[in-house]
Amino acid sequence: MIAQLILTPFLLGILLYALTEYRRSPAVGLIAVLAAVGGLYFVWVPSHATRLAEFVGIGRGVDLIIYIWIVISLLLLLNLHLKLRAHMELITVLARELAIANARSHRSTS
Amino acid sequence: MGSQAPQVWVVIAAYNEAPVIASVVADVKRAGYCALVIDDGSTDATGAIAAEAGGIVVRHSINLGQGAGLQTGIEFALSEGADVIVTFDADGQHHAADIAVLIDALARQGADFALGSRFLGTSLNQPLSRRMLLKAATLFTRLTTGLRVTDTHNGLRAMTRRGASSINLRQNRMAHASEILHQIAASGLNYVEAPVRIEYSAYSLAKGQKLGDTLMILVDLFARRLHR
Repeated sequence: MIAQLILTPFLLGILLYALTEYRRSPAVGLIAVLAAVGGLYFVWVPSHATRLAEFVGIGRGVDLIIYIWIVISLLLLLNLHLKLRAHMELITVLARELAIANARSHRSTS
Repeated sequence: MGSQAPQVWVVIAAYNEAPVIASVVADVKRAGYCALVIDDGSTDATGAIAAEAGGIVVRHSINLGQGAGLQTGIEFALSEGADVIVTFDADGQHHAADIAVLIDALARQGADFALGSRFLGTSLNQPLSRRMLLKAATLFTRLTTGLRVTDTHNGLRAMTRRGASSINLRQNRMAHASEILHQIAASGLNYVEAPVRIEYSAYSLAKGQKLGDTLMILVDLFARRLHR
């Protein structure tokens, strides 16, 4: 139960993030939504994770690895998003400098 | 501000506003202020029309968002010696007559920021859903900034040169409205609210924020706290 209570808000947060990402990138958004929903499902119905594990021919202990894999993958995705935001800020600074320089040049010649 | 009339620059961030930008710029000019239009990478003739109407145009090569446009305008106006900077929406929902109300509020209260409030003034043709959304946003901002404001997403505001110098918007999109209030709270400078009139039209409603944008704003505000 403790693991479920810790993982649930985290996965819900990732799900919200994934939904907002859907507009920017449908493919990434959809995969992230599926991963987050899948993670939530297996967190609350671990017996199905076991059945799935058995179905694909691996042991029950792998459940945990699946959870961790989902969490780490989505964290990497979040990190990538943050890096993109940081790059966007740099592009903004450049675009602003260029816009202001062009406007000043235009004003001084007119 | 000295004894001379302050040099007022009205910053209008515009993206694809060709149908209305000429009348917005003309209104601001008629009221006696300098209209600075930030053409945010428009794909229509917004910039050319604004210039023809008498506005000073600064053009972003690419579309960055309203927050980025306002910051560009603030920096440009400061570099040109503005004493007072006013932010003004490009979609025609604001009234140039309210600029004087804000400037008067700055002078009378000795404040560095005058924030327009449609809830202290009037808002015409405001849909109930928009009203409820704005009320929720106001509650959220009051809780997160501690500022006792009545209208958080009103684009009509005035700031002194000192106030404008303390603002550095890094939220390019709609979350800048919350960010500016956070920065006002962090600056410790005085602010005052003043009643303004907002008139919604079919055009401004189509261009304005949607319910779905709220989630995006929350994500932007949260993400901003996750990286430097």
